[in-house]
Amino acid sequence: MAQEAHGAIYDLLAVRGVSRRDFLKYCSYVAAMLGLSEAAAPQIAAAVEKGAKLKPALWINGGSCTGCTESMAQVDSPDVATVVLEILSINAFETIMAAAGHDAEKNIADTVAAGGYLLIYEGSVMTGEDGNTLLVNGHKGTDILEEVAAGADAILAVGACAVDGGWVYAHPNPAKAIGVQSFLDTVNIKTPVVNLPCCPTSPEWIVAMVVQWLLVAEDDPATFLAKTKLRTRTYRDTVTGRDVTLNYPEYVIGSTIHDNCPRRGHFENGHFVTEFGSEEEAKGYCLYKVGCKGPQTFTQCPITRWNRSVSWCVQSGAPCIGCGGLNWVDNNTPFFKRLSSMQMGDTLGNVQPGSVAAVVGGVAAAALVAHGLGMKAAGRIGPDGPPVETAKAYDRKRMAKKGGDK
Amino acid sequence: MARVVVDPLTRIEGHLRVECEVQDNKIVDAWVAGTLYRGMETILLDRSPEDAFYVSQRICGVCPISHSHASAQATEDALGITIPEGGRLVRNLLEAAQYLHSHILWFYHLTALDYVSPINALSANIADTYALAEAAGTRVNDFGAVAARLTAFAENGQLSILTGHYWDHPGYALPPELDLIATSHYLEALEMQAVANEIVAIIAGKFSHPMTSVPGGTAFVPTVEKLDDILFRFIRVKEFIDTALIPDTLAIAPFILDATTYGAGTGNFLSWGVFEKSSRVAEERYLPRGFAQGLAAETVSPDDVTEDVAHAWYSSGTGLNPAQGETVAKFTEYNMDDFPGESDKYSWGKAVRCKGLSTESGPLARMVVAYLAEKGGQDLTGGATGVRTPAALIDSTLEALGVAGKPEVLVSLLGRVAARNLEAAYVADLALVWINELIEALRGGDVKFWEAAETNNGSGVGAWEAPRGSVAHWIGVKGGKIDHYQIVAPTTWNTAPRDDNGVRGPLEEALIGAPVADPERPLEVLRIGHSFDP
Repeated sequence: MAQEAHGAIYDLLAVRGVSRRDFLKYCSYVAAMLGLSEAAAPQIAAAVEKGAKLKPALWINGGSCTGCTESMAQVDSPDVATVVLEILSINAFETIMAAAGHDAEKNIADTVAAGGYLLIYEGSVMTGEDGNTLLVNGHKGTDILEEVAAGADAILAVGACAVDGGWVYAHPNPAKAIGVQSFLDTVNIKTPVVNLPCCPTSPEWIVAMVVQWLLVAEDDPATFLAKTKLRTRTYRDTVTGRDVTLNYPEYVIGSTIHDNCPRRGHFENGHFVTEFGSEEEAKGYCLYKVGCKGPQTFTQCPITRWNRSVSWCVQSGAPCIGCGGLNWVDNNTPFFKRLSSMQMGDTLGNVQPGSVAAVVGGVAAAALVAHGLGMKAAGRIGPDGPPVETAKAYDRKRMAKKGGDK
Repeated sequence: MARVVVDPLTRIEGHLRVECEVQDNKIVDAWVAGTLYRGMETILLDRSPEDAFYVSQRICGVCPISHSHASAQATEDALGITIPEGGRLVRNLLEAAQYLHSHILWFYHLTALDYVSPINALSANIADTYALAEAAGTRVNDFGAVAARLTAFAENGQLSILTGHYWDHPGYALPPELDLIATSHYLEALEMQAVANEIVAIIAGKFSHPMTSVPGGTAFVPTVEKLDDILFRFIRVKEFIDTALIPDTLAIAPFILDATTYGAGTGNFLSWGVFEKSSRVAEERYLPRGFAQGLAAETVSPDDVTEDVAHAWYSSGTGLNPAQGETVAKFTEYNMDDFPGESDKYSWGKAVRCKGLSTESGPLARMVVAYLAEKGGQDLTGGATGVRTPAALIDSTLEALGVAGKPEVLVSLLGRVAARNLEAAYVADLALVWINELIEALRGGDVKFWEAAETNNGSGVGAWEAPRGSVAHWIGVKGGKIDHYQIVAPTTWNTAPRDDNGVRGPLEEALIGAPVADPERPLEVLRIGHSFDP
C-alpha cells in the first residue's frame, strides 16, 4: 500500500512533535543556504515530502575515519532518522546499515543497476600500492568508486578527504590518497560532483545539498550543477599530476571564517589571545596570534556552527586550523604559528605561504601591518575571492594608534 | 566445511574482513583483516608536536578525543609538561562525553540490530508493550506513534538502511513488544548521542575532531555558564543510561543467555587506564592501568608492547616496541582463492602483543582490571559519593542474571556487551563528580588550564583508553620537530591478525567455537565482531 503522496512527512514529523510551521521554518533555512529566497520554502517542502517513493542514495566510505558519518549523525533538523528513513532510501551506508558482507554488496549492486541515485562519498580515494591500500571483499576501493560513480545521477564528495585527499594527501602521502573529482578525471567519468569541505564536513551542508538534489532531480538530474550556485577552485594534484577543478556550493565557501567571526571585533581592536588558557581567552579575544587560520579559510562555520549550533572551533577557544582549505594539513602547519605571509585567498591550491605574491588591501591587512605582526603582505587574492574590503582611512588610523601587539 | 566471509563487516568504524571456517555449524578457524592503510605515522614526521595533536586524532572519527589525548600526553611526557588541574578536569569531562556518546551509539545503532528486529516490532501489541516496559523498568515512549511511523516506513517498501538483511533469521528471538521498545529507544538514542556530543562541542568546538585539548592542557576556559550547559546535558544523558541503556540490556539478556557460552576470546586483558586523578598515576586512574590473565591482576607498561608483521603488509621490522617501531607499507598479494597459505599476509593491521600475548582491550578489559583492583582493596573513586563503581555494577548485574559471584561469566560475548553498558553508567556518575569539582575550583579562583613547554627535545608515550580500547602514541621530538611517531590504536589490539608465531588475534580467537546456525546468514559472526566495537 503506497502512502498518500501529500502530507506523509507531516504525519511523521507530528510523531516527533514537529509542527508544519517548524518544518516550513526549516525549509526557509535550507532555502537561505541554497541562496534561494524564502519564497522557495514551499517548493523545498514539496521536494522533501514527495512521499510515495523515496529517492535512492548510496553512502560509500573510502579511505575514511568515519568522522563525516559521525558528523551526519549530529545533524540538527531534520534529524538523522528522518534523513535516512524518510527523505532518502540510503540502501548502503556502511556504518549504520543492517546488512553486512555479500548482502551489503548486493544492496549496492541493486541500487547501481536501478540507477537514478545520489552517491555520497566519504574519505580519500586510495590509489597507493596499486589501489590495494583499500580492499573490500577483494575489490579495490578505486574499482568500487568507479562503478558506483559512473551510474550515479550526482555525487556529493563529503569532507576534506573526499574533496582532495584531506590529511591523507599530506606530504609525503604514503598511500597516494587523492580526492573524488581528481580520481574521476583520471578515469573520464563525468558524473557531476559537488564538494563539501572541512574535517569533518558539516551535516547541515550535506542536507542542504540533498534537498537541492531532490529539487532538481524531479525535473532533470542533468541540470544539478547548472541549477546550483557554485564556486570553483583549481589545484594541481601531485599524485596524478593533473589540474583539478572542484565545484563547491557558494553558500559554503563564499566568505572567510574571519569575515563572520564573532571575535572579529577584538581582532580589529588589537585584543589578542597570546597564551592558551589565559584571561584573554576567557574574554573571548582574537586567536590570530596563536595561529588562527580564519582569515584565509573560506567556509561559513561561524554561521551554521557545529553540533546543532551549540559551538564551533573558535568559540571553544581553539584557533581555526584551516581544514576547509585545499591540502589543508600542508598549507596550515605548524598550526600554532602565525603565517609569515598570510595566504588570504582561496584559489592558491598547494602554494605554500611565503611564496604568495599577495596583494595588500583591506582592513585586515591594515590591522595586521599596524600590529607589527611581521606580515610581508596580506590581502585577498584571485578572481574568485570575495570582494576586497576597502580600507577606510579612519580604520587605519585607529589601528595604528591602538597597536595591541605586545 | 564451509568458508563464511563477512566483508565488509558493516556497522563499525573502518573496513574489516572476517573469514571463518565452519564445521558442523561451529567456527573452527578464523581470520580478521583490516583492509585500509593510510600512513598516518609517516605523515606526522617533521611536523610540530601540536600538529600531531590535531592530525593524529583523524585516524578515527569515532574516538578522536582519545587519540588527541594520547597524542597530547605523549608530547607532554616528551617535553616534561604536567598539565594543570583545570586542564585535567576539562579533559576528563571531554573524554567522558565521548564515552557516553560512543557507548550509546554502539549499543543502539551498531550492535542492537544483531538482536533487535524493527520489522518484527511491527507486530507488537501496543498495550502489551507498555506493560512490558513497565515490568522491565525501562523508559516509556509513545510506542503507538513509533509503531505508526515504522508501519508507514515499512509499507512504503523501501527499507533504506534496513534493506537486504536477514530479519527472518531464527536468532531474532525477542518478543515483538521488546523489539518495539528497543526500536523506539534506537530512535531516542539518536537524540541522546547528539546531546552527549553537544558537550564535546561546548568544550572542544565540534565532534568529530575536537580542537582544545592541546599539549599543555586545554585551550577551553570554562565559565560557570558554560559549565551549566555541560552539566544539564550530562544529567540528561545519565538519565537515559539509567532508564534505557541499562534496563534494556537486562531485558534483552535473558533471550540471549547462550551468548555467555562463547565469544570469550583470549582472556588476556589490557587497560592503559583512563580518567586522570590529581595524583597523575596511571595505576590510580578512575579506570586504572593494569593487565589480567585468567582473571588475575598484573602490572603493565608501554614497554611490554611489541608489533609483529609476519601476516601484515609491511616490510619494516617485526617484533619491535613502538618506541623503536617502523611503518613501511608493502603490499604483496592477497591470496583470497587459496587462503590461507603458509606465510600469507592478509591484513593492513599489525599484530600487536602485550607481554608477548594476544590481548583484548576495551570496556570488558577495563572493567575486569578495575574489578580486580577493587576486589584487591583499591579505592577507585577517591571516596566520591553517588558513584556506582565497576565492582558494584558487575556484582549486581551478575546477581540479576542469576550468576552471582561468578565473574568468569563476563568473559564471553554477553559479558563484553554488558561490560560496555555498565561502564557507561560508571562514567556518567563520575562526570557529575568532576563537573562539581571544576565548579568548586572555579569558585576558588586559582585554577589553571594550560602550561607551556620548557624544552624542544625529548621522547615520550601517551597511553590512554578510547571507548573501544587501549590507545597509545609514541613520540620523539628533536628541535621542536617530530622525528619519531608510532600509534597503536584500540582496534589494532582487538582485530590483530596472527602474530609471527601464528597465534590468533583476540577477535579471531573469540570466533573459535562459536555456533553459526546458518552459514549463509552468519548472524553470530556479526554479534561477536560488533561486541569489540571495531
